[in-house]
Amino acid sequence: MTRPEISGTATPGTNASTIHDLGYRRYDGAREGARGAFRALFWQGFRAMFGLGRPFKAKVVPVFVTVVTSLPALASVAASGATQGQLPITYANIIGAQVVLFLLFSAAQAPEMLCRDQQHRVLPLMLTRDVTRTQYALARLLSLFTAMFCVALAPLVILYLGEIGVAKDPGATFATMGNTIGPILLFATLLAWVMSSVSAFLSSLTARRAYATAAVIGTFLTTVVISQGLQDLAGMSEATTKMLDPMETLRTTAMQLFGETKRWMELTPPPSVWVHVAELTLLGCAACAGLVWRVRRVSV
Amino acid sequence: MADSLITARNLTRRYGAVTALDALTVQVEPGITGLVGANGAGKSTFVKILLGLVDPSDGEAEVMGHDVVRERGAIRALVGYMPEHDCLPPDMSAAEFVSFMARCSGLPATAARERAAEVLRHVGLFEERYRPMGGYSTGMAQRVKLAQALVHDPRLLILDEPTNGLDPDGRDEMLALVSRTGREFGISVLVSSHLLGELERICERIVLIEQGRLLRAAPVGALTSETGTLVVELDGDDAAVATFVDTVAAAGFAVQPERQRVMVELPVSTTPEHLQQAYTVVRDAALTANVGVLRLERRRGHLQDLFAGAA
Repeated sequence: MTRPEISGTATPGTNASTIHDLGYRRYDGAREGARGAFRALFWQGFRAMFGLGRPFKAKVVPVFVTVVTSLPALASVAASGATQGQLPITYANIIGAQVVLFLLFSAAQAPEMLCRDQQHRVLPLMLTRDVTRTQYALARLLSLFTAMFCVALAPLVILYLGEIGVAKDPGATFATMGNTIGPILLFATLLAWVMSSVSAFLSSLTARRAYATAAVIGTFLTTVVISQGLQDLAGMSEATTKMLDPMETLRTTAMQLFGETKRWMELTPPPSVWVHVAELTLLGCAACAGLVWRVRRVSV
Repeated sequence: MADSLITARNLTRRYGAVTALDALTVQVEPGITGLVGANGAGKSTFVKILLGLVDPSDGEAEVMGHDVVRERGAIRALVGYMPEHDCLPPDMSAAEFVSFMARCSGLPATAARERAAEVLRHVGLFEERYRPMGGYSTGMAQRVKLAQALVHDPRLLILDEPTNGLDPDGRDEMLALVSRTGREFGISVLVSSHLLGELERICERIVLIEQGRLLRAAPVGALTSETGTLVVELDGDDAAVATFVDTVAAAGFAVQPERQRVMVELPVSTTPEHLQQAYTVVRDAALTANVGVLRLERRRGHLQDLFAGAA
C-alpha cells in the first residue's frame, strides 16, 4: 500500500477529477469551543499516559508500573484469604515501598505529553485553535494527575476490597475499617498531585524527553541526598530532615494516615499529619504555578 | 476598512536587537494573497502575529475585523494555519491526528472524525491515513498539514511555505490544491513563499515584504503587466541582424541586441499609435535586412524584476 512518492497520485488530470468529485464541504455543525477542546486535550493526554492507541514501546513503563505495584497487593490479599488471617503487608508499608515506582511512572510519562508536544511542534497548532496556553498546561497536568491517581489508588483499593472480601464477616470488618477509604483517597491524591505537578513542570522546560526524565528523577533523588546529608552531618532531627524529601514525606504521611508507626517516629515524633498534607499540597501548587508560568512563555 | 481581510498598522516586532517587523502597514483583501519575501524578511513573524502566537511589540493588526491581541478567541475559529515546520507526531496516524486537531477546535468527537476523513480525501490521502505518519513522504506530510488547517472549516487559511521540500510535481499538485481551495470553496488564503514564480501562478494579489517593511502590495496583474519593451526574435545570420538593429535604431528607438533576439524600447507613454508605428518600423527593418521575424511581442514583467529593482 506504500506509495513510492507523492507524484504517484497519478497524472494531474485524473488526480484533479478525483479530488474534485469528493469535494470540500462546509461544516456548520456544533462547536463546543474551549470546553470541548479542553476535554479532547485531557482525554488524548490520559490515553497517552497508558500508551493506549500507541505502539507497544509506549506501553512498557505504564504497564510495568501498574502490574508491579498491584501484584504485591493481590498476593497479600490472596495470602490472607488462604490463612484467614490479617493482611501480611500493611497499607503504609506497601505504598511506601512503591513510591519509587510511581516516581518512575511520572518521570517516564510526563515527558510523553509535554516534551512531545514541543519536540514535534504540535503545540503551536493547538495554540492557534480553541486552546489557550494556560488551558493547555492545566489539561496536560490533569491528564497526568488522573493517571497517577489511578495507578496509586489501585494497590490500596485492592488491599481494601480484599481485606473486606476475604474476612469471615465482611459486614463487621467493613464497620470497623470502612473509614479507611478516606485516607486511601487522600493519600492517592497527595501522591499524584506532588509527583504529577513536579514532573510536568520539569518536563515543560525542555523538548527532549530523556533530559526531562533525568531531571525528574534527579530532582527527587537530590532531595534524598540533601535530607540524608543534613541528618548525618548537621545532626538535624529525622522528623525535620524527612520533610525536605517529598518521597519520605509521602511515606510518613501514609504511616500517619493509616495509623501505623515506625521506630524513628516514636523516637522523634514527626509533626502532625496535616502539616505534611499542607506541605505536599503547597509543593504541588508551586510546581503547578511553575508549569503555567513556563508554558505561557515558551516560544512556539 | 470593514471588508478587508487583514489590516496591519505600524506592526512592529523586535526580538532583542533584531527587528523582524518594522512598522508594517498593509491591507489584505479577500481572495488568494501571496506573501513574498526572502528568508528572514519577516513573513513568519507576520503570520505568527496574525495567529496570536507572537505579540506585536508595537502597532496593531486585525483579522476579519478582530484585533489580534484582544480578540484571539474569535480569530481562532476563523483561521486555519499550516506551519512551515514539521508538526506531525510520527507515531500517530493522519486520521487520528487530524481528528484530534478538529476536536481542539471544539468539534464534537463524531463530527471531528467525519470531517477528518473528508478533508483527508480532499487533499488526496486515502488508505494511507491509517498508517503512522512517521513513514510519510514529504508530499504526504504536506497534505496532512493542509488537511489539519482545513478540518474545522476556517474562513481564512494561512499557509506558511506550503511547497517547502516538495519536488516539482508535488509543488504543482500542492499549488493546484491551494488554488482550488481558495477559488471553489470561498476560503481566503494567505500563502507565504520565497519563490515568486509559484505565487504568480495562483495568487490574485501579492504582498512583498523585505527586512520587515512593506515593499509593495498590488494585484498580480498590476505587477506583471506589459512593459514598454518589444521582444523581436529573428531568423537570420549575424550580419543581417546587425543591419536590422541599425535600421530600427535609425528610426529613433533604443535597441538592445541579444544574439537572435532584439529588445526594442518603446517611448515611456505608449499609445496605440506609437505601438503601431513601432510595429511598422520593425516590419520594414526586417524587410530591409532580409531577416525572418519569428516572434514579435510585448515583454511582460515578472515578479522577479520587482526583487531585482528593490535590491
